[in-house]
Amino acid sequence: MAVAVNRHGGPGRMEGSGRQSRTGPGGAVKVLECGVCEDVFSLQGDKVPRLLLCGHTVCHDCLTRLPLHGRAIRCPFDRQATELGDSGVWGLKKNFALLELLERLQNGASSQCSTVEEAMGGSGESIVRCDEDEAHVASVYCTVCATHLCADCSLNTHSTKTLAKHRRVPLADKPYEKTLCSQHQVHAIEFVCLEDGCQPSPLMCCVCKEYGKHQGHKHAVLESEASQIRASILDMAHCIRTFTEEISEYSRKLTGIVQQIEGGEQIVEDGIGMAHTEHVPGTAENARSCVRAYFSDLHETLCRQEEMALSVVDAHVREQLMWLRQQQENMTILLSEVSTACLHCEKALQQDDCRVVLAKQEITRLLETLQKQQQQFTDLADHIQLDSSIPVTFTKDNRVHIGPKMEIRVVTLGLDGAGKTTILFKLKQDEFMQPIPTIGFNVETVEYKNLKFTIWDVGGKHKLRPLWKHYYLNTQAVVFVIDSSHRERVTEAHSELSKLLTEKELRDALLLIFANKQDVTGALSVEEMTELLSLHKLCCGRSWYIQGCDARSGMGLYDGLDWLSRQLVAAGVLDVA
Amino acid sequence: MKHFMRMVVKVWIYFYCICLWRFLKFILRKLTGRCELQRICYKNKPGAGRTLKIESSLKSSKSKLLQNAPAAHPDAIEKTIEDILTLKKVNLDTNPQLAVSLQACLLQIVGYRNLTVEIEKLRREAFDSEDPQHEEMLLKLWKALKPNVPLEARISKQWCEIGFQGDDPKTDFRGMGLLGLYNLVYFAEKDPTSALQILSDSLQPKSRDANKEEFSKMSKTEWEMKKFDKAIGYSFAIVGINITDLAYNLLISGALKTHLYNVAPEAPTLHHFQQTFCFLMHEFHKFWIEEDPLDIMEFNRVRNKFHKHILKQLQNTDMALCPHFAASESLINL
Repeated sequence: MAVAVNRHGGPGRMEGSGRQSRTGPGGAVKVLECGVCEDVFSLQGDKVPRLLLCGHTVCHDCLTRLPLHGRAIRCPFDRQATELGDSGVWGLKKNFALLELLERLQNGASSQCSTVEEAMGGSGESIVRCDEDEAHVASVYCTVCATHLCADCSLNTHSTKTLAKHRRVPLADKPYEKTLCSQHQVHAIEFVCLEDGCQPSPLMCCVCKEYGKHQGHKHAVLESEASQIRASILDMAHCIRTFTEEISEYSRKLTGIVQQIEGGEQIVEDGIGMAHTEHVPGTAENARSCVRAYFSDLHETLCRQEEMALSVVDAHVREQLMWLRQQQENMTILLSEVSTACLHCEKALQQDDCRVVLAKQEITRLLETLQKQQQQFTDLADHIQLDSSIPVTFTKDNRVHIGPKMEIRVVTLGLDGAGKTTILFKLKQDEFMQPIPTIGFNVETVEYKNLKFTIWDVGGKHKLRPLWKHYYLNTQAVVFVIDSSHRERVTEAHSELSKLLTEKELRDALLLIFANKQDVTGALSVEEMTELLSLHKLCCGRSWYIQGCDARSGMGLYDGLDWLSRQLVAAGVLDVA
Repeated sequence: MKHFMRMVVKVWIYFYCICLWRFLKFILRKLTGRCELQRICYKNKPGAGRTLKIESSLKSSKSKLLQNAPAAHPDAIEKTIEDILTLKKVNLDTNPQLAVSLQACLLQIVGYRNLTVEIEKLRREAFDSEDPQHEEMLLKLWKALKPNVPLEARISKQWCEIGFQGDDPKTDFRGMGLLGLYNLVYFAEKDPTSALQILSDSLQPKSRDANKEEFSKMSKTEWEMKKFDKAIGYSFAIVGINITDLAYNLLISGALKTHLYNVAPEAPTLHHFQQTFCFLMHEFHKFWIEEDPLDIMEFNRVRNKFHKHILKQLQNTDMALCPHFAASESLINL
């Protein structure tokens, strides 16, 4: 592995080693430099060496400065692209081989130049040298001689009878040295002042306590105070330990979450117990694919809708052109006929009297047909407006409609006697009439704004209700009429409505509810009706609207149609007309 | 511009016709020594043809007396006739028949106007559950149509059996008011056999598809679906109300004049109208069966076709919607 990495990281390392030879033995630590910024690699931080896909090694800092090409960066040496993950440059692997090398080189250099320093400072704290021989490491402490000794030296120096009595303790149990008072050099510090004013320098010896500056102050014994503080420090240490644990736990969690987000290779044990690596998609990837799927779906639908709309336009244009061509042809034929007739007439004019008389019949016949054709032509011209414009409007579901008026198919349903037919005729003729019960259906077209509603009003009689379904096909909106003055029948209306809403063909249809007969005193208000029919629950997930109305005066009817047109026509189209 | 010219021409022709017609009348009067009314009465036999001509003649007359004659009160008709005869300087002794004919015509014309008013009044009168008379009528209808089945309650699902829409027939009378109820009761009482026949036919599923070979071929569910669809014949009561509407429209538009002038020797009355209704009901039933519509949804189409059919029949002035069933026997005798 290390060999492979070295080989891969060839150029960078070579350069680094070249530099090393140039800087000479003095800069031995600065062996390896980044090939871009020529700064020395470090074990961590900005100058960490990271591997690119092509095998080149560049420091982290320089990598962050490289320009992004989409999600990839180009190697500054050979322009090969390296795909970056979600965490960017941070996600690139460190060149561990190089790091190891770097560490080893650093250690080697320091052991060469500063062995003494290291013995004195760096590792002095942890290793106590034997006082007899610098080369030995002390393990015991003689409390009487106050010396650090190794086991051998301890035996050697304390070989005499008197000396052998010296108490020697392991280094760890070495008693703390007594500190002497700074003012009374002969006395050791034994007490601690507890006064607030003396907190900056609370230590005192017995002289300070009895006669010095701490005379009469409250005090405590140094040892007990110290042990107290030690205990509290221990406590704190314990706290800190748990705190660190928490932190590390948290960071572990963070790593886990990062991994979950990024996804990657994971070792999975399959059914037979064979472990193998498997690519587990991260949540980021999942989310991305989700978005991609949604938009591709949307794209597809749009494409399909566009195609359909275009085909509608094409068909219209084809039809129109065909008709126009037909007309053109007819006109040409007519023209030729007329000119033939003219020719005949001219010929007849030039002939002698007898022949003119003979030709009279023929000429009259010709003139008659001519007149007939002229009549036909004027009739035709009267009826047809020649218009090259193709007015296009769009429905909300992106269907295209050609023509000045957009046609909308609406079915009016409801219980018998709710006022469906009355509403229909009010809209159609703006007159109120008491209709007779509808048997079968009525159908009328009502024009409103630039919309042309084809309203089917189907009888509400019990027996007719199963037949409602024949009117559902291609229906863009259902108008459900309820008699608000008839409280007892609201439940029946509710059951019919809920039956209606389960119909598959009406899944996308708009639902407009007319709470009719608002003019009758004691009629249910729109809010009460909404509540009674539990419309919010019933019509969940579809566009619906309840409108109070009164077919007698026509109040509210056009508000309902307004709502329908707003729902059906793509925004802005209404203003075009 | 073109349309305007056309209209001008039409108006001119109209005025010209009137003047010419007046002139022609004047000449004829001088030649025959008879006024127009006389000519009509002598030339035509009693019936719609004569009465209609008299009516239009009166309407286009320039005399106020003649113009107002159709609006006269029935009791004042004899006086009006006398006035007209004196105005036209007709000697009653030489023309005894004229007064009689003219009176009959005028009675019919006035009667028709009054019938229209009466019917309109009835139609406007809404069915009122508080009114015992109305309630009694309704129960009478039930008894006539379902003599063996007692009505469980005033508001009951049973009403659907005779073809009302809901449990309370009241709501179904909204458009036609009492007229609908009167007609239905008249039909059920005066001609019970055909009423019951139509009622039972309307409840039957159509027998058209009922041959056995098809049954065996159809799966059970399919059959049941079909049966369900077919069972929806038309509903007796609301069809009755619809036909009432049809008859009413015929009356208001004046199309029924032909029929009523032919069947009623003097002023037509409500009975004549109701008999007409019975006849229409009967005819419509026949028409429905002949048309053999797929389901009830075609009702309006069939109804419109029937309307046109009847209108066409009524254009013939000799035509009486001659009903060949029990309720109209008295008419035929007349």
